[in-house]
Amino acid sequence: MKLIWKLLRKHVSVGQLAGFFLANLLGMLIVLLSVQFYEDIIPAFSGEDGVMKNTYVIISKRIAAVSAFSGEAQTFTDGDLRELEKQRFVRRVGAFTASQYQVYGSISMAGMSMGTDMFFESVPDEFVDVQWPQEAAGGGEVPIILPRSYLALYNFGFAQTKNLPKLSEGIISLIQMDVRLRGEGGREQRLKGRVVGFSTRLNTVLVPEGFMRRMNAELAPDAEAEPTRLIVEVDNPADDAIASYMQRCGYELEDNSLEAGRATYFLKIISGLVMAVGLLISALSFYILMLSVFLLVQKNAEKLQNLLLIGYSPARVALPYQLLTVGLNAAVVVIAFGLLIWLRGLYLERLWQMFPTLVAGRLDNAILIGVALFILITFFNNQAIRRKIRRINLNHGSSH
Amino acid sequence: MTTITLHNVLPEVFAQRTDIASDLWQQDVTFERGHLYLIEAASGTGKSSLCAYLSGYRKDYSGTIAFDGGDIRQLRNSSWTALRQRSLSHMFQELRLFPELTAWENVQIKNQLTHYKSDADITAWFSALGIIEKKDARLGCMSFGQQQRVALIRALCQPFDFLLADEPVSHLDKENSRVMGEIMMDEARRQGAGVLVTSIGHHMDLPYEKVYRL
Repeated sequence: MKLIWKLLRKHVSVGQLAGFFLANLLGMLIVLLSVQFYEDIIPAFSGEDGVMKNTYVIISKRIAAVSAFSGEAQTFTDGDLRELEKQRFVRRVGAFTASQYQVYGSISMAGMSMGTDMFFESVPDEFVDVQWPQEAAGGGEVPIILPRSYLALYNFGFAQTKNLPKLSEGIISLIQMDVRLRGEGGREQRLKGRVVGFSTRLNTVLVPEGFMRRMNAELAPDAEAEPTRLIVEVDNPADDAIASYMQRCGYELEDNSLEAGRATYFLKIISGLVMAVGLLISALSFYILMLSVFLLVQKNAEKLQNLLLIGYSPARVALPYQLLTVGLNAAVVVIAFGLLIWLRGLYLERLWQMFPTLVAGRLDNAILIGVALFILITFFNNQAIRRKIRRINLNHGSSH
Repeated sequence: MTTITLHNVLPEVFAQRTDIASDLWQQDVTFERGHLYLIEAASGTGKSSLCAYLSGYRKDYSGTIAFDGGDIRQLRNSSWTALRQRSLSHMFQELRLFPELTAWENVQIKNQLTHYKSDADITAWFSALGIIEKKDARLGCMSFGQQQRVALIRALCQPFDFLLADEPVSHLDKENSRVMGEIMMDEARRQGAGVLVTSIGHHMDLPYEKVYRL
């Protein structure tokens, strides 16, 4: 082997190999960096600690100008629901049930009474971010949950300008109100109600699901209560599959919870582009190496042929060049990883300034891709060298 | 391998010629293991071509060349490699040595492949052929006659059924060619091999069993 190398190293061009080395290193580094950066930044857009903490999205059907006047139903059918449940990004789906009767709520205080028409909605209890009180299922008082934003609206908007007292959650929960429900055919129910909590997740006047069902059955037995809004628990609200599905079905999201999804999608495209550039550079460097080795084989053709004629197999003659490429490629991978870790340290510092709680992604995928690239490039290098050396043998077989 | 047969073989470059009068071309000839043959040729009669066909690096001929009855056109690369390591040794007219290696390394590059001869055997041959002091000299600095001797030693560092010696002594004096003939025939007899020697006039003085005129 030593003698073979002594023979065949002649004409090895350090310049060409250095060119390949740098080009391949650059390509590999860009590929690895794009993969790793994606891995590191993606938790900032999703997951528990991310910008998007909310794993619930509320969807409704888009109200088009035409359907608004035509009276076309904006409700979700059972089919819509089943279809939605089948999507892989969905954990579970809950329907909003609206009251099919009229609601009038009033508060009497110091002989003064004020009241308003209102409405109730309910969602399955497991979707509510506030605990219903124990006696919720029984009669007596109707527990009500209001959106937290209502309280803020009252305290900082209404009360402030009208010189009314500001109310804390505790005070509000002490106030009892009268609730009058009026259904079809004059059926009526008078109940007491009490606000038991404030929800940040649900932007509506909530009553327990059980109560809603009972009252709808009692007061409006003939009305179909098809949901107009759905609450969906998703695995990852930054998943761009959600955005595209909602778009396809013509559903609308209540808040901007899909912004993160779009950002993720954008990030994916950018990472993909950068990775493609890296792969392109890698491919070009592969050609540099191939050209260099082919030139080497050509220059050493006579020696190679002599080796073949004294009994060396093409595989054995190819081996030194193959080892050379394996060595170069391995060095490229190792150095690329070194550089990757160094550069990653630099950008992670910046990321942590922006997202202090960010947990950096793992190196697994970058390692996997680096090793896969190494194996792929080395494999094709070696195949090409083998083929080239076999051809030398044949060429001389026909043209001498 | 026990036989090499040529059946109606003719180099393609001779295809248009009608005046072929040869003991080998367009004949049925069989070389057998254990025998010594001389192929005498004038320039331009296709001696180099014949050697190239038998070594498997040229195929520009019509007719059939067979080893043990098997057409050598059908042999794959791997079979040729095996043949060149174990059955067929070739001392090339153009030597095909490596000028950047020393004489010793030129032999070792073959012996490391076959592990056939001990260093002592090889050293003894270097001595017998009078090139022991050139052992570690770069081959490029040696005369063609000296290089021919190195080429012979290399050719003997392998098991073979046939030894093809293409003008082995073209640049050697009588005494040196006698020694070379002796060493070559000793090794061939030891291995029970067949020997094909070619020459253009000046040839080793050996008890040839059959002489072919090309």
